[in-house]
Amino acid sequence: MPHSDSTATVVSGWRAELALTLAPRHGRTVMTECRHLGPLRLQRPFYPEGQVPHLYLLHPPGGVVGGDELSIDVNVRSGAHALITTPAAGKFYRSGGPRAALMQRIALEADACLEWLPQETIVYDGARADALTRVDLAGNAQFIGWEMLCLGRPASNEVFLRGDLRQRFEIWREGEPIWLERARFDGGVPALQAAWGLRGHTLTATLVAVGRIDGLVEQVRTAVDIGADEAFSVTQLDDVLVCRYLGARAQRARDCLSQAWAVLRPALLNRAACAPRVWNT
Amino acid sequence: MTTEDNSDLALLRLLQLVSPALPVGAYAYSQGMEQAIHLEWITNEAQTAEWIEGVLENGLARVDAPVLARLHAAWSAPDLDRVAYWNQFLYACRESAELQAEDRTLARALTRLLADLGVADAKPFATQEQSTFATLFALASVHWRIPVLQCVQGYLWSWVENQVAAAIKLVPLGQTAGQRILLRLGERIPQLAQQALTLDDDDIGQVMQGQVMASAWHEMQYSRLFRS
Repeated sequence: MPHSDSTATVVSGWRAELALTLAPRHGRTVMTECRHLGPLRLQRPFYPEGQVPHLYLLHPPGGVVGGDELSIDVNVRSGAHALITTPAAGKFYRSGGPRAALMQRIALEADACLEWLPQETIVYDGARADALTRVDLAGNAQFIGWEMLCLGRPASNEVFLRGDLRQRFEIWREGEPIWLERARFDGGVPALQAAWGLRGHTLTATLVAVGRIDGLVEQVRTAVDIGADEAFSVTQLDDVLVCRYLGARAQRARDCLSQAWAVLRPALLNRAACAPRVWNT
Repeated sequence: MTTEDNSDLALLRLLQLVSPALPVGAYAYSQGMEQAIHLEWITNEAQTAEWIEGVLENGLARVDAPVLARLHAAWSAPDLDRVAYWNQFLYACRESAELQAEDRTLARALTRLLADLGVADAKPFATQEQSTFATLFALASVHWRIPVLQCVQGYLWSWVENQVAAAIKLVPLGQTAGQRILLRLGERIPQLAQQALTLDDDDIGQVMQGQVMASAWHEMQYSRLFRS
């Protein structure tokens, strides 16, 4: 349970909120509301492709510690289309006890579209956290999004041995679940190495796109180049297409999933891929 | 009838429901195992047991089993809105085209069977696109007065037995090796079923990346015996 900061004795724990509304104005999508509390910020929108803004969400500097509660609410009005990313990795630090929470809720009206393409989240050894990305669609709203998770910090020889992360990534339409991914990662458990589990990979990523077009799975499969120490799969469910990636390096995960995105975006959203500039830095 | 007679009959009904002879075609599905064997992730008895145990403990016991218990309660009430909710919830947890198709197909087969056997509540599911085997399994259990714990134990057992039968064909393994795995995994089921009954809604769910990616790759496997 995330702790409540209603008592005066709490020693740690930021509470941060960001509420954002996007709506169409004069032929392009603009922010009509952006309220924030605490250290969550949004940079000024870029318009590298005309109508669709690229929005950079800044997580609190230095990452998230036990007891922190972050909530991000994004509302996309009918007719709006935006892309949200982050300029740096998110981080869950080791906790002395309390859990951290990152609650991301995205609501789309009919005829709205959102692309949710944040950079990876790094889970430090000993972190204890709950992360939710819940997307609520009305009518024919469209969504493409991914979540990437690094367990431990392999570059610093830090193995994810203790702690746990519960990550939910869910898509609902008109109040009914159409895709639910509810994962629990515990430090040091056999699932991190098992054939049926992460197979020793420290990075796991999921890309999901609402929609269904015949032949799209084959196109994605052909477009993604995979190296020897990584794995990629794609499958078409009733209402969503799902890609999965396992590897070790966030840059590689983003390269592979953005190859898939470059196929999905024109097919499902009728718009050529235009990678956010921040990915190149 | 006395209570004892009832529970004796409930046990026999459960045996009927979990029997591989139940005409729904569950034997045609391996849930990614055929691909895992093709990739040589599974080559012997020990690896087979580890695979099935891992998926049982992390997937079935944390996803299917707690939802099955909720479906049992919903049919018992009866609360058809809750039935519809948990049916949709479980269907939305299926991770690949083949796993979704498997659940849909088995559910339809069990719907037809139950309707033919006079279980009237099954009929609306005959026209429903997205339904899960667990939804109909829970209905049959409630209809035949099988208590929730036995219902969950039976569901887990029939899944394990089906996986072992697939492994015997595919790895391949001898019949005795298969029975050894069943003995070992049978010991896990009482505790996993019990745990499933106490899981909170928020704790339902797990992803087994290796298994579900194998299931997605199975769609392209050139030569295959199984439909998942």
